[in-house]
Amino acid sequence: MNSLDFSILLQAWPYLWSGLLFSLALTAAAFVIGMLLGTCFALVQHFEVPVIARIVRAYIALIRSIPLILVLFWFFFLVPIVLGHLYGNGRPIPIGATWTAFITFGLFEAAYYSEIIRVGLRAVNKGQFEACQALALSTFDTYRCVILPQVIRVASPIILSQTIILFQDTSLVYVLSLTDLLGAASKLAQLNGRLVEMYLVVAVVYLAISSAASQCVASLRRRYPLTGAHK
Amino acid sequence: MQHEIATPLADRSPTIVVVENLVKRFGGFTALNDVNLTVAKREKIVLCGPSGSGKSTLIRCINHIEKHDGGRIVVDGVELTDRMADINGVRSEVGMVFQSFNLFPHLSVVENCMLAPMKVRGLSRPEARERAMDLLRKVRIHSQADKYPAQLSGGQQQRVAIARALCMQPKIMLFDEPTSALDPEMVKEVLDTMVQLAAEGMTMVCVTHEMGFAREVADRVVFMDQGSIVEEADPETFFRAPRTQRAKGFLNQIIH
Ligand SMILES: Nc1ncnc2c1ncn2[C@@H]1O[C@H](COP(=O)(O)OP(=O)(O)OP(=O)(O)O)[C@@H](O)[C@H]1O
Ligand SMILES: [Mg+2]
Repeated sequence: MNSLDFSILLQAWPYLWSGLLFSLALTAAAFVIGMLLGTCFALVQHFEVPVIARIVRAYIALIRSIPLILVLFWFFFLVPIVLGHLYGNGRPIPIGATWTAFITFGLFEAAYYSEIIRVGLRAVNKGQFEACQALALSTFDTYRCVILPQVIRVASPIILSQTIILFQDTSLVYVLSLTDLLGAASKLAQLNGRLVEMYLVVAVVYLAISSAASQCVASLRRRYPLTGAHK
Repeated sequence: MQHEIATPLADRSPTIVVVENLVKRFGGFTALNDVNLTVAKREKIVLCGPSGSGKSTLIRCINHIEKHDGGRIVVDGVELTDRMADINGVRSEVGMVFQSFNLFPHLSVVENCMLAPMKVRGLSRPEARERAMDLLRKVRIHSQADKYPAQLSGGQQQRVAIARALCMQPKIMLFDEPTSALDPEMVKEVLDTMVQLAAEGMTMVCVTHEMGFAREVADRVVFMDQGSIVEEADPETFFRAPRTQRAKGFLNQIIH
């Protein structure tokens, strides 16, 4: 049993860094797509838009009941076949592992974010809607300027923890042969045999990023108090 | 007279709100039953009555926060129908102050006041800010303009809510028990603001049980019970010599 030797980090760092960047990019893209789409999904349900609300509900129920890894497989193998039937002569049109990852993660996270926002919408005080009506604000301005900002702020801790889960889930892209932070570490570990060091370093990086994100939200909440005692 | 011909019809009319045979039901329950009320320009009306008599429902119908089931409501010459254009037209002329303030917690005091003038009236940000600061000064809270609602006392929040409504330059102000959620020591600062507003000639309909305020400000006290207007009189007459038994009973209750 060798003692720990972190000097190999020096060589390993560039590769780990590129893996980390991929994890972060995928997290950011899935966050943006997921939040935008999830907000639309939540609003469609909130307004009880006929037919579409039912479809959205079914979609969310489906996505939330199957593992992400299965959705990744589906997209990777099924979407090219569907595209081939739609636009080609039936031969699969590959969309590539990277696109598959970005689209799948975005669509997958949308289902989770939408549930968070839907619950948040229900929690907004009725008086807020009435104040907007009394000020003659349009429905669009009511939601954009008053209701949704409050929902996002109140739900930010839950949104954040979902996003941290998302960040950790990006490691699943190994099934598409993409290399994220964890993937980079395990490939290196197999090459240089330094399993313990590699997995320790990766754990520290995940920990640092996740706790930094928590700190961010905590300071945001202090800066913009929503409710609370008179000061 | 040249200038009178140029004035639009609605502006010359002495009334600003006409409520005719108003009916409002919640499911099978009739909350307002054949209510008639006319508000003249610059008139100050105090609405009172026991809990559940329909006071809130009546003033909420006037800006269509509640949709009425029968009768007519005309505000500043515009009848309230289902057309969103009419509804928002009316709402932008009617200011409303709620018992629970309903300030926007994520916006600072001055932003609370700027939002609707920018979005509805199309004011630029500097214009909206200037107007907001003027009105915050008027309710004597401009030094707190950049604080958030949660950082203010209840009385301060309610004065902000009044300023926010005034920023739309409404033709009439509706108040729904604006002081009943406040600690006793804060009631006066809000009532003083309302008295000042009344003195400047604002048309006001106030649901309140503050008899001192009613005596000082009201042209007319309207007493409601069980969804109907039971009695109307000037405040002196109403408080000294109510005609109906129901009003007598109600006054006995709020005095003791
Ligand atoms: N959204 C609603 N759904 C069902 N019933 C309602 C609703 N709003 C009001 N009501 C009923 O209508 C009646 C009149 O209510 P309203 O709030 O106008 O009374 P109020 O005179 O303002 O009473 P208070 O002094 O308690 O505020 C009450 O019996 C109330 O229970
Ligand atoms: Mg009421």
